Amino acid sequence: MFGNESNLLFLDGAMGTMLQKNGLELGEKPEVLGITAPEQIQTIHRAYLEAGANIVYANTFGANRHKLEGCGYSVAEIVSAAIKNAKIAAQDFGARVALDIGPIGQLLEPIGTLRFEEAYDIFREMVVAAEEADLIVVETMTDLYEAKAALLAAKENSTKPVFVTMTFEENGRTFTGCSVSSMAMTLCQADAIGFNCSLGPKDLVPLVEELARFTDRPIIVKPNAGLPNLADNTYDINPQEFASQVQLLCNAGATIVGGCCGTTPDYIREMKETLTIGTRKSREKIAAVCSARQTVMINCPCVIGERINPTGKKRFQQALREHDIDFILSQASEQIRAGAEILDVNVGLPGIDEKAMMVEVIKALQGITDAPLQIDSTKPEVIEAALRVYNGKAIVNSVNGEEASLSQILPIVARYGAAVVGLTLDENGIPKTAEERVAIAERIITRAKEYGIPKEDVFIDCLTLTASAEQAGVYETLKALKAVKERFGVKTVLGVSNISFGLPSRELVNANFLTMAMTYGLDLPIINPNIASMMGAVRAYHLLMNHDENATRFIAAYGGETSAPTQITTAKEIHDIPYCVAQGLKAECADLVRAMLETVDPMVVVNKQLIPALDTVGTRFEKGEVFLPQLIRSAEAASAGFEAIKEAIAKSGIAQEEKGKIIVATVKGDIHDIGKNIVKVLLENYGYTVIDLGRDVPPETVVETAVKQNVALVGLSALMTTTLGSMEETIRQLRAAGHNCKIMVGGAVLTPEYAEKIGADHYAKDAKRAVDIAKEVFGK
Amino acid sequence: MGSIQAIRHEEVLRYLGYRGQEISDDLMGEVLSCETEMLTHAKPKSVFCIFDRIDTHDGIALSGTTLVLGGHDVREHLANCTKVVLLAATLSSDVDRLIASAQVESMTKSLILDAAADALIEQVCDEIESEIHTKMQNMHATWRFSPGYGDFPLSLQNEILTVLNAQKRIGLCATDSYLLTPRKSVTAVIGLSETELPKKQSGCETCSMRETCTFRKRGERCVW
Repeated sequence: MFGNESNLLFLDGAMGTMLQKNGLELGEKPEVLGITAPEQIQTIHRAYLEAGANIVYANTFGANRHKLEGCGYSVAEIVSAAIKNAKIAAQDFGARVALDIGPIGQLLEPIGTLRFEEAYDIFREMVVAAEEADLIVVETMTDLYEAKAALLAAKENSTKPVFVTMTFEENGRTFTGCSVSSMAMTLCQADAIGFNCSLGPKDLVPLVEELARFTDRPIIVKPNAGLPNLADNTYDINPQEFASQVQLLCNAGATIVGGCCGTTPDYIREMKETLTIGTRKSREKIAAVCSARQTVMINCPCVIGERINPTGKKRFQQALREHDIDFILSQASEQIRAGAEILDVNVGLPGIDEKAMMVEVIKALQGITDAPLQIDSTKPEVIEAALRVYNGKAIVNSVNGEEASLSQILPIVARYGAAVVGLTLDENGIPKTAEERVAIAERIITRAKEYGIPKEDVFIDCLTLTASAEQAGVYETLKALKAVKERFGVKTVLGVSNISFGLPSRELVNANFLTMAMTYGLDLPIINPNIASMMGAVRAYHLLMNHDENATRFIAAYGGETSAPTQITTAKEIHDIPYCVAQGLKAECADLVRAMLETVDPMVVVNKQLIPALDTVGTRFEKGEVFLPQLIRSAEAASAGFEAIKEAIAKSGIAQEEKGKIIVATVKGDIHDIGKNIVKVLLENYGYTVIDLGRDVPPETVVETAVKQNVALVGLSALMTTTLGSMEETIRQLRAAGHNCKIMVGGAVLTPEYAEKIGADHYAKDAKRAVDIAKEVFGK
Repeated sequence: MGSIQAIRHEEVLRYLGYRGQEISDDLMGEVLSCETEMLTHAKPKSVFCIFDRIDTHDGIALSGTTLVLGGHDVREHLANCTKVVLLAATLSSDVDRLIASAQVESMTKSLILDAAADALIEQVCDEIESEIHTKMQNMHATWRFSPGYGDFPLSLQNEILTVLNAQKRIGLCATDSYLLTPRKSVTAVIGLSETELPKKQSGCETCSMRETCTFRKRGERCVW
């Protein structure tokens, strides 16, 4: 519709540059001029239209409720005035008017505090106010998450075409680390996509080339007039140079062109007069998924980590029930370290609100890992909620050949531009023969195509059967895998570990089956990457198939090992648990605890070994004999010991004695959480159940949780003078709710006097003191 | 930026509350490797602008902007200064991510990285200061004064960022409660004077943070 192959489409140039020439002061809100000086705005639009622009951007870049705060006008007033001004100018030229949406001016979670859903609502308000606009432009975005919120808001609240452009740095990334491929895949629903601001035109050439590899959409470029001179706010290239550099971008495939900072009508006129359309290379078909910062190209086997899943894992189930997000995150980082490139996420458990949990876990995961995610659920509403908040292109696990599954889930996959796993089973179960599975695969691929999902985004799972039960079926799976791949050219996925169920030496069977499956064409093995032999099989495969050039990755992984250890290692020194805690030796502490648990009762290990060791370190900390990192190291070594105990208890199924529940939270408005987290580690070490509400926690949430879970001690943290007010408010609301609990407070700006003044029961100057307070409150 | 070769090790230890305790080689190794990791991940970016000072009834206005610096303390800070530098610097959001993901595996590591970031952002600001010195050789500069010091309102954070166009230039914003995001960031005001400035300004005696300062509570002093 816009910027098709036959014509270049011209956008306007900078609005801000023109307004500053007219005397706009720094710090003034330019959007207000649409109401106070409409003539001035119309004149600028007209100048661009006379220069040849086909589309002008209305003066709405910062017309969101956050940036307009205090200006005296509503979003609706500013937006409709701006659109009207642009329309008045455009009518004589037959040009079109775009609602211009810029960044909100606050960073989204997890770096900032603005929630994705709030960002969506802020953009929605602008979109709804711009009914008269012909199209919507989202521009100058540096956070892919914010761009996604804006695109969704535009698409779901209007029928207008939506353009999205983001701003990149010289390193080919945005400020938040978003790459060009991630932008293209995540914003695939945009009608045109590209770059604005960023750099001068010639520096954008490699970025446009990269973008053309990952999208079929028309490509937009709206570069700056070269590099800025910050002293006088001017830019370093003239209209002629600008146009000749933009020609290079057209040659690389850009068809929608305009100017950003520093450009004037002269720049647009020069482009209009001189630019010619280039020939865009036809796009290669790429199978890939991504997070905002990392793209995984599926052109040789990539490991999907299977550990974020409660099935058959008591400890994981416990974490879900106790809302222990940190445990889930630890499973993620452990798998990444082991070599997983994509993480499967399954949080379905009876009694758990799967949708809410999925959204929370996805958000938490994308805050700490760049690995793309695979959403593992059978419920359409869970899948949709997850894809909505996922900042990237995810895989949906899964659909199968049943029509109900296909017609429910494929539209969701298509709407969010995700990839999907297709299981080769249907209402009749898993077919025995390879041929029948291939037929189901074909059905899934065809149906996906009908919904607009290209076959590069369909990953077929030919299903692993258990060798002990159906030995002859193993080869059928491999045959099906090979046939599906050769016949349809799709990528394949397979859960591997089931193969050995019921057999001895499961690892041996698993690793060999994995190698066989990869040889038959498996692209995405779903495995436990923490098992050395499994990752070993993958690495060796990459080496032998010449995927791992010069064996670089193989040597990096195993180079430290010798194939035949000949030297005699000196006997390892034997330490005891208190020593390991004192020295902060995590792994050794956990091993010693595990060994001791074979003969000693868990509570004895806790009370006679771990706690006394921690007490000793705590006392030394108080005396200044050790400093904070040493205390925390000891606490972490003890934690590793406690984790071993938790595992043992979870396995035994014996209910744990509860010592007492404590809430910890960083108050509303504050995002400093290191101090709070240190307190949490220590309290947990002493056996208290800690409910960690996170940071930026509203008073209401603290009160609600305290009442609902009958919590006797609440710990609040604040690090800024500005957020002490919310600490006071939280205490006030806790008291007003009539809930009987003690409150301890801590944080750099607090003093004992102030703590007393705002109504806290205790002032915790450090984490050690917080433990002492807990002991006083619970009497143990 | 980019000329910073190493993070000041003593500063990192000081931020961690180190007071001469015996440190195992292992822990020292971790501190050093965190410093290296922080230096690799940080992408320091900064922006500063120099304005003429205009005295108004409400405070010190900066020419060509809507910004008025209110409060008694900033007026004192800028005494005798004819020009005012606004600066903003950040280590970028990669640092926030690094610290957050470290927390999942090791609180100790996260804590050390946090301290390393604190030390690094100070070094970055020192670099900008020397750049300003080079640029304005004939003038004398005050030390850095940030929103939240004394009665210099934190609520000016947003306006300072807007005037510097800091979101677009370096990706820096503030939250509703005026916290800078990405977290390891600084905004500050530096005064430039044609005459030499008295040296008295830094120190606990004149510091408005003295009642609540963490360093003072521990019986130490901060960098000033």
